[in-house]
Amino acid sequence: MEGGWPLLGPLQWVRYVKKQVKVKVGRNEEVRGWLFTVDPVSASMVLVDFMESEGTLVQVVMGHAVEEVQVLKEPDRKIADRLQSMFLPPRTSILDP
Amino acid sequence: SLSTSAASESDADELQKEQQARSVLRENFLRCLLSAASKNVQFNMYEKVKMEAKFGACDIDVLNFQVSDLHTPIGVQKEALIRSQDVISFTFEI
Repeated sequence: MEGGWPLLGPLQWVRYVKKQVKVKVGRNEEVRGWLFTVDPVSASMVLVDFMESEGTLVQVVMGHAVEEVQVLKEPDRKIADRLQSMFLPPRTSILDP
Repeated sequence: SLSTSAASESDADELQKEQQARSVLRENFLRCLLSAASKNVQFNMYEKVKMEAKFGACDIDVLNFQVSDLHTPIGVQKEALIRSQDVISFTFEI
């Protein structure tokens, strides 16, 4: 994919979700991470980097700054599960009486 | 005619799929913003400026970020709005 990231639309963006991507941003900068989601309003990408020792690094790249997106890797089961449960509330309260 | 109604049916189908994808993507984005609230966030701006601040919120069309204790190159701003057009990316840890 080169240029026009904000114009792709939801059906194209979801094809990149959960994959490890390399994103060219601004002027000659590059970021990598697992794509958690894309904001359909601003085309901003939420990239996640699971660091070995410390916590998880979350990087939000503004849609207007995205120059190029390249898929690097498909997720394995473990990564897919971690991405699935990210940002979810710790537990869902049961509203039934 | 038969062909046009079939076409409009598949259009409606496509639209529904797109709306579904849109809602899932947006919900996940909003959850991400929620988790950023009151965390220390580093903003990477154009012209290689990096600034730290405590994340507050952003408006629905992601045009502005509301932050506190913004560490700018010329001092700390207690409360601030950052235009998203000036931002390349922002990062935080969870």
